[in-house]
Amino acid sequence: MEIRFSGSGGQGLLLSARILAAALTEAGLTVAQSNAYEPVSRGGLSRSDLVIGEGEADYPLARRLDVLLILDEAAATVSTGLLTPASLVLCDAERVTTPPRGPFRTLCLPFTETARTLGNPRVTNIVALGALTAQASICPPEQLLAAIVAQTPARFERLNREAFAAGLAMGETEPA
Amino acid sequence: MTAPSLAAAPPALTGRRNLEGNEACALGAIRAGCRFFAGYPITPSSEVAETMARELPKVGGTFIQMEDEIASMGAVIGASMGGVTAMTATSGPGFSLKQENLGYACGAEIPCVIVNVMRGGPSTGMPTRPAQGDILQARWGTHGDHAVIVLAPASVGEAYSETIRAVELSETLRVPVVVLLDEVIGHLTETVDLGAVPETPGIARPFATGPREGFLPYAETADLVPPMPRPGDGYRSHCTGLTHGPDGFPTQNPAVAAAALTRTTDKLVLHRARIESWREQATEDADLLIVAIGISARAARQAVKDLRAEGLKVGLFRPVTLWPFPETPLREAVAAAGTRKVLVPEMNQGQLVLEVERVLAGRAEVAGLSRIDGETLTPDEIAGAAREALK
Repeated sequence: MEIRFSGSGGQGLLLSARILAAALTEAGLTVAQSNAYEPVSRGGLSRSDLVIGEGEADYPLARRLDVLLILDEAAATVSTGLLTPASLVLCDAERVTTPPRGPFRTLCLPFTETARTLGNPRVTNIVALGALTAQASICPPEQLLAAIVAQTPARFERLNREAFAAGLAMGETEPA
Repeated sequence: MTAPSLAAAPPALTGRRNLEGNEACALGAIRAGCRFFAGYPITPSSEVAETMARELPKVGGTFIQMEDEIASMGAVIGASMGGVTAMTATSGPGFSLKQENLGYACGAEIPCVIVNVMRGGPSTGMPTRPAQGDILQARWGTHGDHAVIVLAPASVGEAYSETIRAVELSETLRVPVVVLLDEVIGHLTETVDLGAVPETPGIARPFATGPREGFLPYAETADLVPPMPRPGDGYRSHCTGLTHGPDGFPTQNPAVAAAALTRTTDKLVLHRARIESWREQATEDADLLIVAIGISARAARQAVKDLRAEGLKVGLFRPVTLWPFPETPLREAVAAAGTRKVLVPEMNQGQLVLEVERVLAGRAEVAGLSRIDGETLTPDEIAGAAREALK
């Protein structure tokens, strides 16, 4: 299975992928994570890919995405070539103005808006992780939550828990 | 002062974990006994320095961020001459700057490990984008005939185990060893089972132990590796970048100079069996053989599976020791399979392909596949080129 987290530098894309990778490794799977970003301190196109399997991947980079998450317009079109009719595309409803459309399934969900309502737009990535967990059924939610708590600062634990729960609920409401 | 040895190393990391290639290099080096790192941060190798800065103090080691790349290499050589296992890490522009001091280490036979994480070049090039343009520089970057070993890991697990091997070869053979990663492998995080990495034997540099009187720091020993005097042990010795005889002092005596220079290169020939390492996948009946390193080899590994599924007889020969190139194993693989064609995909304009052409010398038709736009060669591109070649 191949999952891409994409958007603009500073949105916590690499961290989100690292959290999911940790949860999947804990579940016994083998993960390859690769990142790409521009030589700027924030902003610019940023992405992190997970290639998930039972043993070491022959080729550790993404070829055909099962799930594509887009959190910013900067990443709206760059990954379209890696989509197949079986792909699921999750877009931020506010920051992605031209979501990819095609034979695949595209869902535009209010990640940023939900994070802002919870009090901090910086947990947008955790809201999105929740929705992704519900939609892609790749890992039990409890395992992912444990990885979030383990990989993020303790002072944000409550906020992260709320963000993850909100994302999970959002993803479960949408038809899978 | 005591010899750096595995006895002083922390317990081996074991079990399954997610590690980044650069991090794995640093942890492998520490596991192997490295206790000194000097470097200057440069993308895409900075995580090696970052990990060393965090981990070395925990095992009583020393981390120094030097004022530049040149000084970093100088500090590593100095530390090693002081008896401590030492390493640095860099990328293209820094690797270029290190060449003069690297040459000194080759000439004076100072053990040291240099991690070079390749990025797009020339000059500052594309700092965050991958390339494999330093294949020949790693072999011939410093001037003059010289011995150097270059190891090319193709996974995070190998970044760990090959850096351990780099320390072992460097310390026991008194030769600089380059660990050559590309940006993809350096920045790739993979789930690795370090419990599966074989335990290394105790790594011990051959320090001088005999009589102080009449000591020759570059004596010609049976294994061609002269025992190194450790500061404080009372051996009088001289060390120089000038061509030197067994006594360590400069010479222009043709016979002495030729013997001394030949010994340093013969050393790698004598110990070749221990230095050489390669992996083969589906080579036994390959009509077409792919030769690749690093991320290009990972793409080829997938391409071989895809092509085999189509019924095409394609295999992969992957040098893990890049230099000295495993030439006899490649010739044997081609001869055993009756291979007709060889494809060399690499992220440069054709460097590895030159060596493959030289080694095979007409035994098979050799073609290159290049990519230099900052993107990796994909399994589909390699498979496409292989299909075309087999038409």
